[in-house]
Amino acid sequence: MSGRRSRWYPVRRLELQTHGLPKLLSRRLVLITGKGGVGRSTLTAALAHVAQRSGKRVLVAETTDGSGDYSALAQLFGHSQLPTRAEEVAPGIWGSQLLMSSGVELFLTSVLKIPVLARKAAQFEPLKRLLAAAPSFREMGWFFHLLSCLKARDSEGRPLHELILVDMPATGHTLALATLPQVLLRVFTNGPVADALREGHAVLQDSVQTAAYVVTLPEPLPVSEALELLEGLAQTPVHSGGVFINRMPDNLFSAEERDALRPLLAQHALQGADGFARIQDAERMVARIAESTTVGYACVGEFDKHGPELVTQVAAALEKAPWR
Amino acid sequence: MAVSVVEPPSRRARTLSELAQHNRVIVCCGAGGVGKTTTAASLGVAAARLGRRVLVLTIDPSRRLAEALGVSRNPPEPVALPLDRQAALGIQAPGSLEAWMLDPKLVTDNAVRRFARSEESAQAILQNRLYQQGTQMVAGLHEYTAMKSLHQFISEGRYDLVVLDTPPSRNALDFLDAPGRLARFLEGPIFRMFVPSEGGLIAQTGARLVWRVLDTALGATFASELKAFFNVFSQLLTSLSTDLVEVRKRLSAADVGFVLVTTASPAALTEAHFFHEKIRQLGLPFGGFVVNRSRAVRTDKVFPTNALLDEHASEALQRALEKLKWLAREEALEATRDRGLLADLALRGGQDAFSLALPNVAAGTGDMERLSALAGLILDERRSGPR
Repeated sequence: MSGRRSRWYPVRRLELQTHGLPKLLSRRLVLITGKGGVGRSTLTAALAHVAQRSGKRVLVAETTDGSGDYSALAQLFGHSQLPTRAEEVAPGIWGSQLLMSSGVELFLTSVLKIPVLARKAAQFEPLKRLLAAAPSFREMGWFFHLLSCLKARDSEGRPLHELILVDMPATGHTLALATLPQVLLRVFTNGPVADALREGHAVLQDSVQTAAYVVTLPEPLPVSEALELLEGLAQTPVHSGGVFINRMPDNLFSAEERDALRPLLAQHALQGADGFARIQDAERMVARIAESTTVGYACVGEFDKHGPELVTQVAAALEKAPWR
Repeated sequence: MAVSVVEPPSRRARTLSELAQHNRVIVCCGAGGVGKTTTAASLGVAAARLGRRVLVLTIDPSRRLAEALGVSRNPPEPVALPLDRQAALGIQAPGSLEAWMLDPKLVTDNAVRRFARSEESAQAILQNRLYQQGTQMVAGLHEYTAMKSLHQFISEGRYDLVVLDTPPSRNALDFLDAPGRLARFLEGPIFRMFVPSEGGLIAQTGARLVWRVLDTALGATFASELKAFFNVFSQLLTSLSTDLVEVRKRLSAADVGFVLVTTASPAALTEAHFFHEKIRQLGLPFGGFVVNRSRAVRTDKVFPTNALLDEHASEALQRALEKLKWLAREEALEATRDRGLLADLALRGGQDAFSLALPNVAAGTGDMERLSALAGLILDERRSGPR
């Protein structure tokens, strides 16, 4: 064997002719993004179940500052918080918070080569406070933690987490994280941080292994923001994998039935008219996404459930949903 | 025309329209995606219709709202809505509506200028590469600065009412948690490392360890740049934390109302309860709950029945009517749920708070029409009297 450092991912292989969900499941790093309230955490949890059923060793992760007492994602797996180091949170599904402090410790270990010293340093209160307050260090910590999850191997040398799904807290953070290595490489031109950043940049810009998926609702404002986010992502090295249109109302009416009903609704103020209008508005929104972007999309229906029950239903819907 | 002097409320307002009429400050909080910005804007329209001079302040809003209001996205200061738009929204003098979409970067730069001890130290921060590259500064600085601007606008007397739309973050109120994280940070040992001081032996040993680690890990140039940054930044933070107390006091006054915006979704409600508890803990004046996209509103609509069809009705229409009945039953179920929810919120809010349900304004309506309709509904509540 040569002494060359092994790469965490195989040398770029021929892109398989897959798209949609199989494509997503073949990746190593998937960032799930979208504005608050669109069901991002539910989608992340549901995708984890789909991946697990397809035989993948999957890790769900979310960025935290370690002070929170509440995690929407963890609750979908019946926990109040995700563990701080990857652990099984549901049968076959692993979960981890991406913690700045863990990232810093992992990074210092790799630089200082003495784990005890690194742990001491990382737990040293003034240093912790400094890193928490200094610009970009939070994102850097998350980033190093994420890199270490990607590189983690089992005893046979296979990736411990074949697929990592990250529930990104807000759209701004996604764009910040996506450009972080580039931006920080202007500050750190060489040294261990620069090496790690270059490695991270390579991960992020690998369009086969890494992609961001945008979750949205079939409503005007969320769709506008999703399209804006896709524009923003196009300015970053991260590839856009697709759009999930969540809570899509069932289309109950045939074209003929719609046309027959319209005059009646124009004459009378009827209950049910809102629902009828909503179906058509949602379809207009899907058409708008199809027209405005080249990335694929899939629609997920709406279910009268919440929590883990909702996740089960969304996962089943995802497996059947056609990609366009 | 003389501007009428508005008497402060003798008691806490019990409806949102009373808040719009009498308050000097309304702060809207809530989860993302619940229509918080729209609520803040329609509240602004409602108050302006009552003849008040209103400013709506929002941080990093969606482009569409800026478009709807007819203002540019990141102006350096508040801008008035074009007069034809104000007229279309039913606003007449002396009432007026201005909006300011705060750009977080601009806000932070201004904060640096405002609080730095000298132009020199302001420039030192602004020119610092760390500051320029940084995406996130001290937690809560954006929110804090927004509140500070709000305070300034109120004391200047340029506006009768300022409506603040907070960012969709659980931390939106953290800075009010006096002495606050900012203050704890200031009192922490970190500044002993940066701000020249004697310090104990342990602190000095600690500082030496930190610098050794940082020099190794980050490179000596970077570490010293970091040191320079914190040295100047510490002055800024000191000024900030002094001001914090004053802003907190202003926001505790009776003419301020914190309004929680939510929808019927469990996730949004969890956030609303979280904020409600936080507002209670901080002793801030709670206004009430606004439930958006609610079906707990009175409607003149009737249930679709076969009586609507004549004998010539096509098969397609008959099928469509059956499906419409199904949607109508769904709506009825949602209405029952939403009324229960509203009652629950009213109970939680207590006697002095309101809980107002606003409907999903007919889809397909433009933004202006939507704001206008919502403002009308907020004011209607006033005519029908407090609950």
